[in-house]
Amino acid sequence: MTKDVAQTKVKAPKRKKSASLDRRKARGGWLFVLPFVIGFVLIYLPIVIDSIRYSFYQIKVVAGGGYQLIPVGWANYNEALFVNPDYVTTLLSGLQSLAFDIPMILIFSLFMAVLLNQKMAGRAVFRAIFFIPVILSTGIMESIEAQNVLSDYMGEASGIEDGSGESTASEIVSAMDIEKLFSGMAVGEGLVTYVTNAINNIYNIVNRSGVQMLIFLAGLQSISPAIYESVQIDGATAWETFWKITFPMISPMILVNAVYTIIDSFTTDSNVVMTFISETYQKANGNVLSSAMAWMYFLIVILIIAAIAGILSAFVFYQRRD
Amino acid sequence: MNAQNIDNKPKVQKETKNKIKVEFERTPLKERLKAKFLSMFFVKKVVWFLFRLVLLVGISYIVLFPFFTKIAGSFMAPEDFVDVTVRLIPKNFTLDIYKAVWTELNYFEAFTNTLLLSASTAVIQTLICCFVAYGLAKFKFKGNKFVFLAVIFSLVIPHQTLQLSLFMNFRYFDILGIFQFLNGGGISLFGKTITNDFLAAIDIFPDTWEKFTTSGITLTNTYWPMIILSLCGLAFKNGLYIFMLRQFFRGVPDELEESAYIDGSGIIRTFITIILPLSIPMMITVFLFAFSWQWTDDFYTNLFFTTTKTVLMPKIVGIPSSLTTDYAGQNLYYSAIRNTCGIMIIAPLVVVYLFCQKYLVQGIERSGLTAD
Repeated sequence: MTKDVAQTKVKAPKRKKSASLDRRKARGGWLFVLPFVIGFVLIYLPIVIDSIRYSFYQIKVVAGGGYQLIPVGWANYNEALFVNPDYVTTLLSGLQSLAFDIPMILIFSLFMAVLLNQKMAGRAVFRAIFFIPVILSTGIMESIEAQNVLSDYMGEASGIEDGSGESTASEIVSAMDIEKLFSGMAVGEGLVTYVTNAINNIYNIVNRSGVQMLIFLAGLQSISPAIYESVQIDGATAWETFWKITFPMISPMILVNAVYTIIDSFTTDSNVVMTFISETYQKANGNVLSSAMAWMYFLIVILIIAAIAGILSAFVFYQRRD
Repeated sequence: MNAQNIDNKPKVQKETKNKIKVEFERTPLKERLKAKFLSMFFVKKVVWFLFRLVLLVGISYIVLFPFFTKIAGSFMAPEDFVDVTVRLIPKNFTLDIYKAVWTELNYFEAFTNTLLLSASTAVIQTLICCFVAYGLAKFKFKGNKFVFLAVIFSLVIPHQTLQLSLFMNFRYFDILGIFQFLNGGGISLFGKTITNDFLAAIDIFPDTWEKFTTSGITLTNTYWPMIILSLCGLAFKNGLYIFMLRQFFRGVPDELEESAYIDGSGIIRTFITIILPLSIPMMITVFLFAFSWQWTDDFYTNLFFTTTKTVLMPKIVGIPSSLTTDYAGQNLYYSAIRNTCGIMIIAPLVVVYLFCQKYLVQGIERSGLTAD
């Protein structure tokens, strides 16, 4: 193009003035992301770097309004790992509950999304109810809920109450009932406790799967109805349709949701490790120690995310649109 | 059935301009009902309908029950908590808890403060996230992927990790040492220290900003940390908003903007007049998230508001002094009081949610969210 222009010696004064559309668009792109880039470089990165740095220091606030940093090397990490009696055990139990919760949340939210995607009476009402926890049960409500004895108390039909709010009969099902149910089948004890925990934890799981449900719903909506129509004509059952059409089409969402759930469940306030770190932060000289603990925790979780994302992305099916 | 109809040619009974009344033999009603209701298909449908209904109602109950207990408990007098016969319906109906929370815990002040903070940060966050997401979704420029990675990075790092340095950075706020330089903190060049009393000399800042130290401005106990973080799209969960909006904008066909460009509209103008009106449901979704998560957020409010001067919603949770008791049901009663605080905190949010919830699903549905 430019060569042709040069050969015919047609002057193009406008060309010099304004850059090509692509160039202009590239500049426009930077313009749009500028607030984030400025903030990230000038505010966020220093905060992140400081946070790493602080974990190697002790902090003393000076009377004049400044602060003093005393380098201590790996002492904070050493204290967290080997001196502090609770950190390692809390970490392990936190990771354990993570391994338990994440599949539960994923399965539950996918199931509910499929259910809420079907045409039925009162769908809007059920959707509105199901998304209440996303909006209302966060932040301070979560911490109120964590020490809430009221709903357990109210939930009991009867019983002698000593006023302490603690009761023995508050669990919805006990392992005994499930064991009876499973006794005929040859399933292990592990599965029984898993199911029991899941059912007793249902409130927690429902509460935490709101965003995931939204993401799955959006994914389900984006599957073309033509595909469903054609498999229906071919005579597929609902079960086959789910596993052969819905599941592969939604698999990118499963990856997104798995990563989101991991991030969400290890940054939420009700996470045991996070609570422990917050408590440590409040203690004398605990602020640097909590930084060190949080960074170690973060590293572990990043590794878990990388591993799970790596494994899942091998199974993800991407529909070619073009 | 159909074959029969074709065989016996329908007799035309009456014919007008628009309607034709035709008489033909129909299968008897009994047969038709049998075919409809006694098939396996119908039974399956009913079973599935019942199963679904029970499941949905059950889970709705699980979601709503805690709210119901909170409301029930908030109307109860202390006596009700030791009465075994009282469960969900209060016997001694009282509004004492509400009154005490309203007067003694500064509810109204907290409400106005939080409204100001949440509304301003939510509006800023929605707009900034729209900008960033649009830039990431629709423009191919060098570093696009890098910026997107940075967004994900800011989402992945838990804020508790940054607790200390967030506090320190806003307690002694300074960008590139500018404030330190302007305020006589001095800057060292070639071994010499150049001091500068520029800020002290011109004295432009009002008294609220008097807390200048040599290490920067103190921004804690003001709204500034939140607003600065929102302006940069770095506040609580903003990475998620940017991700959601980015997916939405990717679903908007390019032809729309191209035709606008051909008509001579600039990039910014195209964005404001064409793209933004399209994305209103999605923006309302993001606004709803940003508003309500800021409203109930206790991490940032506890971190940045260290004094009791500014009362914010998440900080009013406590036991009003007039309600302290050594009564037998103390544990439950205090729990009921805390839950009442919770109800009063989320009451405004419920109103907002009722107005916005239809956009919540709509916005997400239209986003065509995909992970590629």
